[in-house]
Amino acid sequence: MIVSVAAWLLQDLLQVLTMGFMLVPEFFMLVVVYMTISGPLDEGRISFWLWFAFAGGVLWDLRWAAVPGMSGLINVAAVATVFWVWNRTPAGGRSAVLFAGLAGGIHFLSGIAHYFSWAVPSQAATRMFLIQQLMSVPALVLLCFVYAVRVRDQHV
Amino acid sequence: MAGKLNSILVNSLVALFCGLMTLWVSYAFPVAVRSMADKVGAALSYPEMPAQELRALVQTIGNWVMERKSLQDRNRELEIENLALRAALHDAALPRPASAADMIGARVTLRYPEAWWKEVRINMGSSQGVKVGAPVLSDGYMIGKVAMVGEDYSWVELITSASFLLAAVVNETWDLGVINGDDRGNIWLLYMPPEREFKRGMMVSTAMVGDYLPPGIPIGRIWGNGETRDGFTPQSVVSGAHLTQLYNLQVLLVFGETEAGGARN
Repeated sequence: MIVSVAAWLLQDLLQVLTMGFMLVPEFFMLVVVYMTISGPLDEGRISFWLWFAFAGGVLWDLRWAAVPGMSGLINVAAVATVFWVWNRTPAGGRSAVLFAGLAGGIHFLSGIAHYFSWAVPSQAATRMFLIQQLMSVPALVLLCFVYAVRVRDQHV
Repeated sequence: MAGKLNSILVNSLVALFCGLMTLWVSYAFPVAVRSMADKVGAALSYPEMPAQELRALVQTIGNWVMERKSLQDRNRELEIENLALRAALHDAALPRPASAADMIGARVTLRYPEAWWKEVRINMGSSQGVKVGAPVLSDGYMIGKVAMVGEDYSWVELITSASFLLAAVVNETWDLGVINGDDRGNIWLLYMPPEREFKRGMMVSTAMVGDYLPPGIPIGRIWGNGETRDGFTPQSVVSGAHLTQLYNLQVLLVFGETEAGGARN
């Protein structure tokens, strides 16, 4: 949980620094998704991360969005979708590559959903969207690496 | 297993419903949500302080390098204009009026992507003397006016907002109109008579409209004609400021008679 709060704060501080130039990647959402699938898929844990993602999204919107609620919705949908896919995947198929695909996919869809709600001029919005997606790549690689190391350690 | 999935499904659906409710509340009660957002912003301003200061430092350095030349040129122009006005006052034997206005610098602390052309929040509020209706400038051009004032922050309605209305005058022809935005980055000077000929580049400035909004503040230049409707031809206006890059602004504080006297005594 501390890591998720730190991710939220990091995202917030980076957004303060880069406001007007770019939108920072959804570090918080990526970390929450990682936390959701990196432990046992029991009921209490998943429900906790669902509500945690919702609270973090609403707080983000209250700070950075004209109409709060959208990020909360997107975060809940992201965690629920990732859990659903992960839960239906056999244990042997739960690889870092699958995680990267899922996390990258929901990050992209989240970006698209926000993109269509912006009033920023289209060229600038596209630039901001592309930068956001590109900037998320190092975070995705890092999370995949952490996941791969964790899986390897569990199997040693 | 099925019970576990059901419970998670129920939690997901309830959370999604709460998200939809939050969105509905945001649309239905914008003022209450704005007030809550301001409180969240104020609470987060403490952990955000290092990032805010770093941003300000980087911007100051950048602006200093980029704007120095243009500021020097503008300063020279204003000095010449000032000298000419002093000479005119002297020739007319009029007493020189005491300055009744002050300008304070402000930083943009929030600009929603969803309301890009509507509003920005700045870090100056009532404790710095900012009042509702005060004009806000960037690069010497008016870009909006203060719409709401908190203790240490204010919301500025941008000139490109569809709800922005301001009396303005074309300097070269003295034609009066109303400046209005369209929420898409365009600025229009409304109610202009179609028979008048406006040339591209003519300067548009504020007309006398209120206690805190003096006349003569430059807004931008005429760019071209719009479509004639209801007997009027709106003129497209290009702002003199970079409206996509609003970082450091100036708020013009105009003192009333008593306030001006008080401020000076």
